[in-house]
This record gives sequence, C-alpha cells and structure tokens, in this order.
Amino acid sequence: MIGALFNHRTRGFRTINLVGMALLIAMALTVNLAKTYAGRERSQIDRIDRRIVAEQQRIRLLQAEVAHLEQPNRLEKLSRETLGMAPTTSKQEVSVAALPQAAGQPVEPVRIATAVVASPEPKADEPKAEEPKAPEPEPAKPVEGVKR
Amino acid sequence: MSIADLAPHRFPAAWRWVIERVWRLEHAFERAKAAGKAEDDTRLRILFVLAVFGLLFLFAGVGATFAALFSDAGKGGAGAGLAVNARADLVDRNGQLLAMDLVHYAVYVDPNEVWDRSETRKGLLGVLPQLPGKRLDKALAGKQRRFIFGGLTPDQKRMIHDLGLPGVSFEPEVGRSYPLGNTGSHLIGFARPDGSGMAGAEAGLEPALVAGAKDGKPVALSIDLRVQGALEDELAAAAAEFRPRGAVGIVTDIHTGEILGMASWPDFDPNRPGAASPDQTLNRAAASVFEMGSTFKAFTVAIGLDTGVATPSSMFDARTPFQMGYRTIHDYHGTNRILSLVEVFNHSSNIGTAKLAESIGPERLAGYFKRFGLTRPANIELRESARPLTPKVWGADDIASVSFGHGIDVSPLTLAQAMGAILNGGNMIPLTIRKQKEGYCPKGVPVISEKTSMTMLQMMRANVVGGTGRKADAVGYNVGGKTGTGEKYDPAIRAYSGYKQIASFAAVFPTDGPVTAKRYFVLILLDEPQGGIRTGGIVAAPAVGRLVERIAPFLGVPRRTPTIPMIGMTPVSPEDGL
Repeated sequence: MIGALFNHRTRGFRTINLVGMALLIAMALTVNLAKTYAGRERSQIDRIDRRIVAEQQRIRLLQAEVAHLEQPNRLEKLSRETLGMAPTTSKQEVSVAALPQAAGQPVEPVRIATAVVASPEPKADEPKAEEPKAPEPEPAKPVEGVKR
Repeated sequence: MSIADLAPHRFPAAWRWVIERVWRLEHAFERAKAAGKAEDDTRLRILFVLAVFGLLFLFAGVGATFAALFSDAGKGGAGAGLAVNARADLVDRNGQLLAMDLVHYAVYVDPNEVWDRSETRKGLLGVLPQLPGKRLDKALAGKQRRFIFGGLTPDQKRMIHDLGLPGVSFEPEVGRSYPLGNTGSHLIGFARPDGSGMAGAEAGLEPALVAGAKDGKPVALSIDLRVQGALEDELAAAAAEFRPRGAVGIVTDIHTGEILGMASWPDFDPNRPGAASPDQTLNRAAASVFEMGSTFKAFTVAIGLDTGVATPSSMFDARTPFQMGYRTIHDYHGTNRILSLVEVFNHSSNIGTAKLAESIGPERLAGYFKRFGLTRPANIELRESARPLTPKVWGADDIASVSFGHGIDVSPLTLAQAMGAILNGGNMIPLTIRKQKEGYCPKGVPVISEKTSMTMLQMMRANVVGGTGRKADAVGYNVGGKTGTGEKYDPAIRAYSGYKQIASFAAVFPTDGPVTAKRYFVLILLDEPQGGIRTGGIVAAPAVGRLVERIAPFLGVPRRTPTIPMIGMTPVSPEDGL
C-alpha cells in the first residue's frame, strides 16, 4: 500500500510530491496572509491606542482645569462678587417643626407700585408712569403686625 | 512479542497504538531489507523524513500564525507605559482632585536640521510668547540639539508641530501638577520632578502613592475640600485683621482622628515651591511647636476630674498670687475671689489651675500628659510632625507652668490629637490624613473616663456660653471651647515677651448629645497677632465661630436648640481671661 502511494504518478510527477508541494504552498500562503492581516490589525490597534492615550491625556488636562476652576477660594470670591452670596446665617434657616409657626405669622404688605392718578394720554416727551416693580427680597425678620 | 507488551498495561490504548505503529514502521524497513527490495527501504525512509519535516513545518506554521494573531506583544499602545516617576492622583474625601501626574512636552531645537532660522524663531515665539528669546537665539546659533522650553500642553505641541519646522522636536515629560494652587498646600505637600515626595501627603504617603500609580487608583485624603476652603478663608481673614507672623487652622473628626481641614498661613503654590520662602513652606500645623497657653488648662482640669482630685464644684482660692516652687503665679485679670472649678476654667485662672495641678501631683500629671501624647510627636502620616519640647524633670516649677500651658511646646497637631482624647469619650486615637471607611471607629487607648469626657464637653460649652470663648458661639451649633494665650520667649530680652503672643482657640461642636455623637474639633491659632487686645478670646474665637457656622452644613451637623450647661457661673468677658 505504501509502495503504491509512492509510485502513483500524475502527468509524470509523483502524486505524493505534488500533494506535498500543494500543501507547502498553501501553508506558506496561509502564514503569509495571516502575518499581513495581523500586521495591519496591529498597526490599527496601535493607532487607536495612541489616540486613546492622547484622549486620556486631554481628559486629564481637562480634569486639572476643572479642579483649578473649582478652587473653593475662587468659587467663593465669584459667589460673593458676582452673585452677592454669603454663608447662610441662623436667621435664614428654619426647622421643619417651626415651619407652621413661621407660616402663621402675618406678613407686612410690601408696596409694589405707586398709585398713579388717571390722566389723559401722556405727551410723547413726558416720562411714562412708573412700571410696577417686583418686590425686592428682604432679609427675614420678625414681623410685629400688619399696619392698617 | 510486541513492544506494546513492554509498556505498562496501565498505559492508555492510544499510547499502545502509537507504539505499535512505530514498531511496524521499523519492521517495514527490516522486511524490505530482508526481501531484497532496497528501493522500498529508501522510499520508506524518505517518506519518514518527509513526514517528520512536514509535521515540523506544520507546527512552525501554526505557531507563527498563533503568535502573529494572538500574541500580547505591542499591546497597550504607544506611550501607555507607566512612567518611572509615576504617582497616583491625590483626591479629597469626596473625590475632588488635589494632585495629579500630567504629561507635558518639552520642545528641542537641533540647529543642524533647521532650514530657516528666522522662520523657526518667528514660528516658535508666535506659539510660545513666553519663550525666552535669548535662549532660542543661543540654541539656533549653536551646534547641538538643545532643550528650549518645557511644560507644553498637547495643544501647544500640536500647534508647533503643525508649523512643520525642521529641526524642532518634542519629548514627553511627566510632571506633578497641583490644580488647586495654594489650597491645601501644606497638607498636600509637593514632590520633586524625579517623583519623590518632599513634604505633606506627597512625602508621608509615598508608598501608597507609588502603589496607587501601578493600580491606577487615586489615594483619597481625609480632608473635605469645602471645609479646607472655608478654613483657609477664615484664617486669611483673621490674618488680614490681626497681621500675625503666622497662623494655623485645624478641623478634625474626634471619633476617627481624620483631619478634615488643615491650613498654615502664609501658604505657597506647590506647583512652584522654589518660588516660595521658607516661611511660606513651613507647615506650622505640624512642624512648629508653640507654648499653647491656657488651652492646656483643659488637660489639667480633665486630669483633676478623672483622678477624683476635684469635681466641677470644687473651690479654689484665687484671691492672692500662688507660690509654687520658685514661681509666683498670677491671674491675667485677677478675680480676687474663691472660684469653683468651672469658674477657674471659664475665667482661665492660672492660680486655680496651678493649685489643682499641685493637688494632682507631678507624677500623675506627667503620666497623664504622656498618655495624652503631649510628650511625643503627633501620631500621623506626616513626616513633618514635630517633637514637643517638654520639661526634663517634672518638678514643682514645671508642673505649675505646664498646668496652664507654659514651659511645654507642642505642635498644633499634637494639641488636636490630645484634645480629641478629652472630647471623644476619653480614648487616645491617632490622627490620620487618609480617608477612612464609612463606620470606621478606632478603639484607641483609654486615657480618661467617659464621664470625665462628658463633663469636659459641658465645661467647654460653659466657657463659650459665659466664659472667655463667648465670641466663638455659632447659634445652634452648641460650640464649646477653651481660649489660649501663650507668651513667647524672646531671645533678645532673654525672657517671655509681653507683646509676642500665641493666641488660640480650641473648640468642639456640637457639645450636646451622647458621647458617640458625631463631633468635630476646631483649632485656630495666630502667632504674634498685632493690635490692641490679642488674647485667644478676641483674636481666634470669632474666627472659630464663623468657621463653625460655615462648615457645619458640610459636615451634616444641623442647627439645634442651644444648650446652656448645668453649672451656674458669673459671666466673663472675652477680654478678661487668657
């Protein structure tokens, strides 16, 4: 049987040699293709990795910038100067239990507009009657009663 | 006989099959030789060699394919490797960034590759106006590649790169960055460019920072940035008002020992430590020792109560100066009457405290001071923690002085640690700058009883309600505390100076509730404040009051009904005592 395997010829070439050659070429091609494919994949991975690293560095920079901008002293200065804010005091706080008592207190009415006597159409160059203004916030203080 | 018979029978059938095949092949050679068919013998051998080579080639091919497709080589990408000097990020207890490694770029110029010097000069100065022109000119006129400028951001690097200037190249460099600038500078510290910590947490937590860099995990400090910010703000305000030589602020959790805020004034920018003076970089909270003055009376009184020598109602005659050893002890503002222990505390009477110390005795007093940790550096991760200056021999003179905070120099951290033991139920707990897990409750070493601790809380509250610490009262937070005014030794006159003082206020809030209730210690200390009255009650106590009002909401302490302690006492003005 082994002898037949070696003796069999195809167009003058030993079949075993042809099969071996075909296998050899197939394997060489496979390895070559695999290497090429892997090289391409690797360069793509490297490119993406570099981009990730660059993005990570950028994120780190942005984090540092955020931390820098959120410095407590800077925020406090901005809050005081631009928003007029200040730490809350005991007068600005009320407990839940004390809410009904605070709600029951009569509140002094706040004047929101000056009464204007009805008059004929104002002239073009005359200033118009003052628009009603929104009540200005006032600091909470104990109210003695409504003035009648 | 088959070779398979030689093999142990325990071998599996597959193994026997392989052996039999090899044996048969070998016999095929012999049979071919015996039959006189030499060509068959040769062919068989060629087949055999081919098969072996084929198999080897197959293995090599599969191995190469596997290595090409699945190997780990090159994984991680360019530049992803950990720098030699890498350190983990430092964050506060809420995850706010305090210190981090940042990749910067340094720009180099190789004059041999530069085509157009004026174009290179113009291009670089256009992107980096801060670049020293002289240095650039020198590099362009030279013969070797030279460093030009460091600390470039990726955007700056890209802008220069886009100019396409030949001879201009970049090299990455990892640097430590402190995005908060001066905030928390003494606690955070700073590191050298080579990555070794020089001060603060950067030095004290070196192993954790290096390990954290490998794991990619930040190291969380115990400080709360909001508390730290308020503390520094109030300290700066007090410094602006009283123009001291230096100032210290500390906030701790007395049950866990965690430092929630620690500030030393003046401060510095850790991004440029070389630009700061030694006075700025000095961490006064940890590395300086002070004669604290009357805040030490809290220890003497606590010891007196704990030993049973006195009770809050024990009476002490403070009508005349008291002679103890070679010292004659006076009161700052003499009351000229007999005082209860609570009044001694509230009036900050030196005479009353010294008499109490005499009753306690030197051995017991020294023993307690040691157990309070007042004779050792504060037990904390900071390398700067300074060793106290204590009396060599605890004689009568020394006992008298030490009882009201003279003749013993401790760091503010040592004081904070010992005060924690008085106020947390009596256990000595080490301080820490690392965030501890939720529910962390170290057992500590018992120093005084829980009962004494509760009494001390009441007495400190009484001192704020009607004693020298009244200016520290933040409405609804039941602040307690003790003022301290220590005279400084002046080498010029070789005596204690009447003008150079240490003014402090050691506070605790809230003082109400059970011994296990969340409680915080606050210390504000000013070194050589200027102005008229410079006692702790005038200089430091108001800053404590404002600070407590600001930080209590961050610490989850709600306002509550103000408590007025049990013990009746005569009202005391903040100017009256030390």
